[in-house]
Amino acid sequence: MNNNKQRRIPCSAARYSVLMALVALMLALPFAPQARAEGGEATGKVVNPGTELWREARDAIKGTTQVEGVDSGVLIYDAGERWRQYRMQQLVPYGAMLLGGMLGILVLYYLIRGKIRIEAGRSGKVVRRYTASEMVVHWFLAITFVILALSGLILLFGRWALIPVLGPEVFSIVAVVSKNLHNYVGLLFSALIPIAFFLYLKDSLFNFKVDGKWFRRLGGYLGGEEPSAEKVNAGQKSWYWVAMLGGLVLVASGLFLDFPNFQQSREWLQSAHIIHTIAAVGVMAFFVVHLYLATVGVEGALESMVNGHVDANWAKQHHDLWYEQVKDTAIDAQTLKSGEGGSAIGERKAADA
Amino acid sequence: MARMKFLCDAERCIECNACVTACKNENDVPWGVNRRRVVTINDGSPGERSMSVACMHCSDAPCAAVCPVDCFYTTDDGVVLHDKDVCIGCGYCFYACPFGAPQFPATGAFGSRGKMDKCTFCAGGPEADNSAEERRKYGSNRLAEGKLPLCAEMCATRALLAGDGDTVSDIFRERVTWRGSSGLTWGWGVAYSKPGLRRGRDVEGKATGQD
Repeated sequence: MNNNKQRRIPCSAARYSVLMALVALMLALPFAPQARAEGGEATGKVVNPGTELWREARDAIKGTTQVEGVDSGVLIYDAGERWRQYRMQQLVPYGAMLLGGMLGILVLYYLIRGKIRIEAGRSGKVVRRYTASEMVVHWFLAITFVILALSGLILLFGRWALIPVLGPEVFSIVAVVSKNLHNYVGLLFSALIPIAFFLYLKDSLFNFKVDGKWFRRLGGYLGGEEPSAEKVNAGQKSWYWVAMLGGLVLVASGLFLDFPNFQQSREWLQSAHIIHTIAAVGVMAFFVVHLYLATVGVEGALESMVNGHVDANWAKQHHDLWYEQVKDTAIDAQTLKSGEGGSAIGERKAADA
Repeated sequence: MARMKFLCDAERCIECNACVTACKNENDVPWGVNRRRVVTINDGSPGERSMSVACMHCSDAPCAAVCPVDCFYTTDDGVVLHDKDVCIGCGYCFYACPFGAPQFPATGAFGSRGKMDKCTFCAGGPEADNSAEERRKYGSNRLAEGKLPLCAEMCATRALLAGDGDTVSDIFRERVTWRGSSGLTWGWGVAYSKPGLRRGRDVEGKATGQD
């Protein structure tokens, strides 16, 4: 290469030839990797006016451009690489591990501990646990959350989990449906979060004496006697706060991502996405525990959200402090089944009073 | 096998925007979408430089890595293309791309962006070469006709070079030798360094001169 350069440079004047050879050598240095490594100190003394500019361009400085668009003046934007690393190296593997791990733990727990039964058996008496409005809001929140969680999971893991099964074309349809469901149902979810926050707040404030003891005994889930609990135990209260505060973060970051028409910059979109996904994975990890305990995990729990009533013995076993307050309002389970309308309303009034 | 690359010579670009116009015309790019743009740094001050930027057809393309539906593919010529039938318009490629290449026909409420559009190196898409369908979705396929991208072909100062990476860097190296100044291949460090070597901001944007 150096010989080439020397041949090209006019050498007619013999007294310049040595000088020219030196110049050619210096110019050629940056293109010879081995020379660059060794001759770094020597070439570093020659200040290349373009170098600083290049460095600035790598720092995402904004230039001017005729093209209108988000960040169109930015020449090179390295933060995209950081976001890529986050999504591909952290979110996807660690998210899968966390959620898969939670499911694994629950399966293991079920195999070892089995369903937590009503120890004394059903009493035939029931007490009112939730009002109609509490149930309606719960199910709206549950349905919207499950739609959002599933569609989000499809967009996050579908490339690895579903494309091999469905093929790219069919998965594309699944993904576009998921994306739109996510973007529209998210707005409904946003409206429900503040309603749910105030609706369940009263029962979810921590009582440090009772709940502290509950936490110390891990709710009796890992053995030992089940600790005392109010209407809502400390675990459920924790779920409330995770769901509500996590929900608030999800709603705020989600709405930000949902409306690119405000021309948000990539930097903000990336940050919002990172916050959104961390909150989502966190809430989902808690959600599977809630789902487990409310359905297959604990006998007699689900009916509280189906007909608003629970068996008196269930209440006594899991929420003894609350049961003491409401045991006088217990009615026959048969009454609830036969004359739902009238008695249920009557009971609700009693429970509200 | 050729490895197609773009190279914009910042010492030559005069910000005439002919490449932008040529691209829009050749590919019937819809309003609001600009596959190529010219950015001027230090406009009006000493050291002003202009650069024409579009998709650089990266070796380890971030857009392809983050795409949730895996709609990107790299052709035998090293051109990064995508399938608009599979694209769901989520915008992740736009988040990840260092060059701001992915464009969307809309930025509506509820994340409605439409199918992503970007520079194809005038190589169309997955449809049959130069079919009506390909033309409608991706614009021209000059590569299939043995031609190079029109932006570079139109460039009056020959600032924008497009073609096989070896040929492009040979031309550029010769220029640098003669003018004895900046030998910076803008964007090549980001676009063409080998996967795994890229370390975000730590990587110097120096000429690689080879691939």
